[in-house]
Amino acid sequence: MMNTHNHGGARKGAGRKKNSGSFKEDTKVIRVPISLVESILPSIEVYKSQVKTGVEVLLTKENTKELMIPIFTSRVQAGFPSPADDHLEDALDLNTHLIQHKDATFFVKAQGDSMLGAGIHQGDILIVDKSLTPKSGKIVIAVVDGEFTVKRLHKYKGNITLKAENPEFEDIKVNGTDELIIWGVVTSVIHQYD
Amino acid sequence: MTESKKFALIDCNNFYASCERVFEPKLEGKPIVVLSNNDGCIVARSNEAKALGIKMGVPYFQVKNLILQNNVVVRSSNYPLYGDMSSRVMRIIAQYSPIQEIYSIDESFIDLKGLPFDLAIHMQSLRRQVRRWTGVPVCVGIGSTKVLAKLANRIAKKYSKFDGVFDIDTLPYHRYKKLLRSFEVGDLWGIGRQSAKKLNRVNINSSYDFYKADIGIIETLLGVNGKRVYQELRGHSCVSIECIPPTRQQIVSSRSFGDDLTDFDELNQALTILTRKAVNKLNNHKLAATTLTVFIYTNPHKKDKPCVHLSKTVGMTTATEDESLLIPLTAKILKLIYEPGHSFYKGGIVLGNLSKNYRQQDLFSMNQDSQPETGSYNKSNPIRSINRRFNESVKYASEVGNDRWKSRSGFRSKRYTTSWNELLLV
Repeated sequence: MMNTHNHGGARKGAGRKKNSGSFKEDTKVIRVPISLVESILPSIEVYKSQVKTGVEVLLTKENTKELMIPIFTSRVQAGFPSPADDHLEDALDLNTHLIQHKDATFFVKAQGDSMLGAGIHQGDILIVDKSLTPKSGKIVIAVVDGEFTVKRLHKYKGNITLKAENPEFEDIKVNGTDELIIWGVVTSVIHQYD
Repeated sequence: MTESKKFALIDCNNFYASCERVFEPKLEGKPIVVLSNNDGCIVARSNEAKALGIKMGVPYFQVKNLILQNNVVVRSSNYPLYGDMSSRVMRIIAQYSPIQEIYSIDESFIDLKGLPFDLAIHMQSLRRQVRRWTGVPVCVGIGSTKVLAKLANRIAKKYSKFDGVFDIDTLPYHRYKKLLRSFEVGDLWGIGRQSAKKLNRVNINSSYDFYKADIGIIETLLGVNGKRVYQELRGHSCVSIECIPPTRQQIVSSRSFGDDLTDFDELNQALTILTRKAVNKLNNHKLAATTLTVFIYTNPHKKDKPCVHLSKTVGMTTATEDESLLIPLTAKILKLIYEPGHSFYKGGIVLGNLSKNYRQQDLFSMNQDSQPETGSYNKSNPIRSINRRFNESVKYASEVGNDRWKSRSGFRSKRYTTSWNELLLV
């Protein structure tokens, strides 16, 4: 019997290798409505590029069977619109009320009782604006010899005094030799009751 | 030199060290170094520390003696503080020109063309305002190209007689030549170390050699980028201001761990938190990712142990910005790559193939009863909105653990501007 052909037909190893295409797996021809082609092609291109770059593709959602096409994209509102809608204003914002120069404003925490008379208690949060000019009479954050302190600034005839507002504390008279930096001007104090 | 364009480069002086000094004024005049994440290397130095010969990027342990002998103040990097101070500085700079490019955490280019001011005075008032409002000292370089503005900035920093602002276009030609001779070619903006080496081989050593070299040679050696620097140095502006930062290509979130980790759960905790950080960044930039890479490394410097690099990238069929998808995915990938028995010293994740966050329909999983959202996409994720309001109070279970991964930052200053619990005490 002549049952072996040694010519004609498919030769082993010839042709395009299996799974060598852009998708590296078997493909299948399907019919697609023309109106959907535009929306399907991009996904296939994305998949193709992901296969090409060697990035493994995982499906993000488990349920892949159903294909639902949204019919309505906007919801229909039922019921009356709120009569207040037309009168909505921004809620009150403490930031805009208390802070004039956002980029120059820092919060610091008060320690000690030396400014009790000015309403500054231990643990209060002070709002400090670095951009303001430290005028006489302002409460300031000062740096004396490298240490921070909060005091009321007094300038008189070229003499500078940092005054405490508590009789138990002494004022700081600034001599020419001391190094004094006014770090910022206190604009508000936030005192929270326990 | 043509005067058709005008740029300024504003650069903060020793930015990290300066931020530390704002809240610790007693550090003024003292040498300071700031260490990288996990206290590994020197990433910033004050002028005093530079003068001691402490080099940028050297491992901390190598200069520890020098640091101890000279009472150098050491700080771990405090990025919450530096980031907040940087955005303050950048917003103030923005008041001085309608066109601003934020070039790095401490540098910004602005366009000065056509401004109806005396530029030197305008820039002096910028400098004073930044200093007064934030406490951070800056220097300004002005020039008709970005390369020249950058060069001018170095001069403004180097010579105190210019009071922090220097306009290089005011120099007469012979002084400009002299100036170029005093800078190595590698000092120019855009000439990296490799390019400088190539140029040195053909005897181009100083910026002046570069300036008078033949443009053909420069183009052959360095390509179009080198040619741009060459032309910019001659006053022809080739690089314009990029107001809109280019869309990020990827977001990396990685850490060296405080302790080497071997246990799966410990690694999972670290990577979960890193993923959350990356997803927050993703959301802030209104981006979505299509690939997620997870990697863990052992320490390559430990010669006695095998050097193991494990990593894997997966892609998703739709771009996503949803942490409730990405966080479990990180754990899944980690499970795939994890091998017990190694001590991992570093790990992280990469979100890649980023796109603007508009929803593309996913052909493969049309689970579309979720309405296409308009407006605030954050509404989709209750965990995120809760965490926004209540200071990161809701956590994924895998975020909780023994915290062994957390990096060392033994010398960190307080987060004065971003944490209520760490305010400056006065």
